Amino acid sequence: MMKDYNCVGKPEGRLDGIPKVLGRAVFTTDVSLPGMLYGKILRSPHPHAKVISIDTAEALKYPGVKAVATSRNTSQVPFTTAGAMVFTGPQGRPTLDQHIFEDEVRYVGDEVAAIAAETEEAAEEALKLIKVQYEVLPAIYDPLDSVKPDAPDLHWSPFGKNVAGAVIEMKLCRDIEEGFSQCDEIIEETFKLPQIKQVQLETQSAVADFEADGQIRVVSTTQTPHCAQIQLARIFETPVSKVQVKNPPFIGGGFGVRIGLSAKAEPIAAALSKLTGRPVKVTYSRREDFIASDTRHGGYITVKLGARKDGHFIALSVISRLNGGAYCSFGTETCAVMGAMTMSVYSIPFRNYCGTCYYTDRTPAGAMRGFGNPQGMYVVDSAVDMMAEKLGIDPLQLRILNSVKPNDPTWINPYPCTTALIACMEKGAAEIGWKNRGKVNKPDDKKRIGYGMGIGTHGSNSFPASVDYSYAYAALQQDGSLQIATGVPDMGNGTSTTLPQVAAETMGISLNQVGFLFGDTESTPFNIGSHASRTMFSAGSAILDAVKKVRKQVIEYAVPLLESPAENLDIQNSKVFLKDNPDKFMMLPEIAWHAHIRDIQFLATGKSEPANLPPWHAHFAKVEVDMETGMVKVLKMVAAHDCGFAVNPKIVEGQIEGGVLMGIGNALTEELLVDENGVPQNDSIHKYMVAMASDTPEIIPILVNCDSPVGPFGAKGVGECGCIPTLAAVANAVCDATGVRFTELPMTPERVLERIRKAE
Amino acid sequence: MITIHFILNGQPVNVEVMATDMLLDVLRGTLHLTGTKKGCGKGECGACTVIMNGRAVNSCMVPVAKADGARIDTIDGLGDPDHLHPLQEAFIEAGAVQCGFCTPGMIMAAKALLDEYPDPSDDEIKEAIAGNYCRCTGYTKIIKAIHIAARMSNGKGGV
Repeated sequence: MMKDYNCVGKPEGRLDGIPKVLGRAVFTTDVSLPGMLYGKILRSPHPHAKVISIDTAEALKYPGVKAVATSRNTSQVPFTTAGAMVFTGPQGRPTLDQHIFEDEVRYVGDEVAAIAAETEEAAEEALKLIKVQYEVLPAIYDPLDSVKPDAPDLHWSPFGKNVAGAVIEMKLCRDIEEGFSQCDEIIEETFKLPQIKQVQLETQSAVADFEADGQIRVVSTTQTPHCAQIQLARIFETPVSKVQVKNPPFIGGGFGVRIGLSAKAEPIAAALSKLTGRPVKVTYSRREDFIASDTRHGGYITVKLGARKDGHFIALSVISRLNGGAYCSFGTETCAVMGAMTMSVYSIPFRNYCGTCYYTDRTPAGAMRGFGNPQGMYVVDSAVDMMAEKLGIDPLQLRILNSVKPNDPTWINPYPCTTALIACMEKGAAEIGWKNRGKVNKPDDKKRIGYGMGIGTHGSNSFPASVDYSYAYAALQQDGSLQIATGVPDMGNGTSTTLPQVAAETMGISLNQVGFLFGDTESTPFNIGSHASRTMFSAGSAILDAVKKVRKQVIEYAVPLLESPAENLDIQNSKVFLKDNPDKFMMLPEIAWHAHIRDIQFLATGKSEPANLPPWHAHFAKVEVDMETGMVKVLKMVAAHDCGFAVNPKIVEGQIEGGVLMGIGNALTEELLVDENGVPQNDSIHKYMVAMASDTPEIIPILVNCDSPVGPFGAKGVGECGCIPTLAAVANAVCDATGVRFTELPMTPERVLERIRKAE
Repeated sequence: MITIHFILNGQPVNVEVMATDMLLDVLRGTLHLTGTKKGCGKGECGACTVIMNGRAVNSCMVPVAKADGARIDTIDGLGDPDHLHPLQEAFIEAGAVQCGFCTPGMIMAAKALLDEYPDPSDDEIKEAIAGNYCRCTGYTKIIKAIHIAARMSNGKGGV
């Protein structure tokens, strides 16, 4: 039963909408401080080399240059730009394999030195005057090469040769082979996935001011200001309490690329500021953003799925060997999420997962929307369609039969499963016209239609895999308005609207009475930040907790004033009234002022509960494949999501639609390639082939409500989910259209045509 | 250094610039108008779109000398909080704004379209914003917003 709410569940317009449409919203790249210098970075032209010597004398003489930073005059404290440095819980240890600058470079684009100058042009010109002598070393680009005995060791690893982070093994049964021995049919296949890029519109950027009193003040594009604060404090060996990291407050997209630091924008800006005594701004060019900030992991995933003739899945094994690039970043966590998610969608008695991430001389791979889940579910749900064909069962029916059901035990969180997955599948199938599957093409059609689907789940935060908590603060102001604060940014995901919605509903006031402090370590309590689809679920829970406490304080204060017990008092529309006699009331501003002149303010902190309640989703694709050119066109995508309760349906739809198009890009066009010398070939928006407006199909988001025991008003995560099942849905649709199973993404026209011709 | 004159958002402007400066850098750097965004500096993302003599252009690709004598309209001159332009209102209403970094350029590209074609089709809209990259929205709500703005401008009301 849907409750009748005043503020949540409504498609409220974004509170940041007006500044953004007027061009007045401030982003890091817009920030300028008095006396500010510009930093530019010298990057390695070699995929793997030792830096023998650096001569900075000529560069220092260039007009306008104030400092040159190298490994010789900057902090040598090891770190990782990834938030893993702060997230890793008691069960693991983060891999700290990066330095601001180091005397070994491991990919084309790795940082060698940086210059601070009065203008960007001067800094760029002076970079050309730095003389670096390299000893070029052998390089590897493919994780299958990383394990070869003669491969160079890119880092020392306690987990094996070139293994980046811990190997993640999830043995969910005693003997997987026993499971496969009970199967009538087995599908086994290895899939190859590309490294791809977030391509958020605002590149990595930071303005750092290393002040004379030892305070470090940073404005940056980080998705996690409190994590970045801790990372910078460690790197510069200063108390966390003396570092401020804030968003200005907006971020031009994230999609995972700046969970932790914004690549090295913050530490390099801070290092240059320390050397010069002036604020320094470092903004990555689009090329730098492409080649020198984390990518999505590509690599190889092998799936083995066994079933009985009646369709019941008996055994599932997934083994991933991921291309981690030059530094570990979120290698461990990506392997873990891929395992946790691929093992959680279907009820299968025998399951095993093993994920390993390997170092190569490529741009480091890290976090990107979905975090291993899109790759894993592309592979698992491709195998499910292959099994459906083998068994002669409709893929939709096979999924309905085998997917987890409400109240099934789950192994990644302490709650019984709440899922509307089957409703998502049924509604989605109806909307796409699934019944037409297999009936629309004639044998000699040059353009063939195909239908495909993919399903899945995700987390609503990173509990229990990582440290995951949020604190929030709420204070009723003296006029009855409410101030809330928590340390998440708004990177486009709508935080600065949806969290105030939660507060307004809980307090019983209108949305325009809520002020929100966010994205600033100096004015907000600790929050691990915006990632893992967690902002509503976790930061929202903390806000809810804090505001509930404030509301309770107000009601208790009003008991003698309204001469009624607390249980009989309610607050709505800023009115504190008697439930059994609504005509007897006091307005909230009146009570707030009454308290103020008696030296009282109503304020509280709140905390998120450690918990996770996964969202569920089913996507359906209708594609058209041109059999003569290999061109795949997505005609329609239906995205049905159980995100529990949509606090702002318009914002949720937007998250889903954007994720869908990102997933289509992942399936059809996007790929980061290097040449034989390790030089990135896709270093601009055009060369990378992102989806533009003309590529967008009809996208139908369907929100399926599901009662959830935790989360603000029952909300689950949704931010990442739009892209997760899209890969499998599109791939399965292309297979349905062509009869060819593609085991490598993206399905570019060349690849599609080649495979179609081979099949003929 | 040379002096350039142009009409910026209806007001005459004189600026001292290097002949090699790009219009975008002059707008953001010299004139401190940061509403127009820089996403790539290579004419590939459209975040820097402004209207020059009635046509949408990537201001990062326009040498400022070419702007001499031109009429330049940027997001900074479009609407104010109490009087939003129909496109600005429609972008909020349709949910077409997410991170907001593409929004100024997207709105200016859409304005150039609606100024010429008051009632565009889906395909005409997609063509008009073909050079404006957005990673957040999947474009669907942007296209919807431009339709809504067209209807509002034509006196036919909102959604």
